[in-house]
Amino acid sequence: MGISPKGIADPRWRVLWGAGGIALGIALGGCAFDVVSVPQSPVVFHASTGAKGFVLMQDLTVHIGTGFATRLRANTSWHKVGATVFGDVYATQDQIVTVEASNIYEAQIVVSDLRNLVGFYLPVEHTYVSLNEPLPLAINPNPSPP
Amino acid sequence: MKTNSLLYVLLAIVGVALSGCATGPKFGDINSTLPQLKSDSGRIYIYRTAILGAAIQPDVKLDGQVVGSAKPKGFFYVDCAPGGHQISSSTEVTRTLSLTLDAGQVRYVRLNISMGFLVGHVYPELVEPDQGKDDLAGCSYIGGK
Repeated sequence: MGISPKGIADPRWRVLWGAGGIALGIALGGCAFDVVSVPQSPVVFHASTGAKGFVLMQDLTVHIGTGFATRLRANTSWHKVGATVFGDVYATQDQIVTVEASNIYEAQIVVSDLRNLVGFYLPVEHTYVSLNEPLPLAINPNPSPP
Repeated sequence: MKTNSLLYVLLAIVGVALSGCATGPKFGDINSTLPQLKSDSGRIYIYRTAILGAAIQPDVKLDGQVVGSAKPKGFFYVDCAPGGHQISSSTEVTRTLSLTLDAGQVRYVRLNISMGFLVGHVYPELVEPDQGKDDLAGCSYIGGK
């Protein structure tokens, strides 16, 4: 029942082995899609505190093109922790914020003119992740104290 | 006869699956006996709830150093300095989570299982404190490395 060397030399076997090799290559090649990166670039961060924060009034689902979404929840309070050239950086203690691809990164949001979400700041990597387009934020800029 | 054989096979499979699970004391039983968190440190609980892929129990690294393993239904904790940290686990690929830690802060990292090409992938996920406490209730202490 085994395959003799003569059998392997048979052109039909060569075709079969070739097809098998191609199939294996495609299957292994498919593994490459599994590694998806978050597109990020280094950015200078200037820490600051004391500025007024805001409350997010509506849920916001943000996509950064990795196939994973980041959801910002309504009624979460955000306080300014610093600034980058792209906008002010806000953090919250009301929810966990991460951006995700093959790896997961804790993130803070970057807001321009207290109006638009323009990207994320990754505080461990010290990098900036830009959105394709700014997303308007529905906020209450002067939240009443609890 | 056939039914009995099938039952034995199923029992054997369940037995093998469960034998890979953590067997130490439950979180609720030892929580009060765990060392108090120092004021200049933060604590990260790392745990795995999933039994799926029980045979896959890779090391878990914190900033490149092995601190424990991804044992099903098991947990351990690490006290470390405030700042940025990376938690990773490798099977056929390495999955990494980066997170910040403040002094006195407690964070919860769940080790999830996803499908892989040859073996499953273990990826660390930062979860909300309430979720983390709920998850830990079903886990046993396996200690760190």
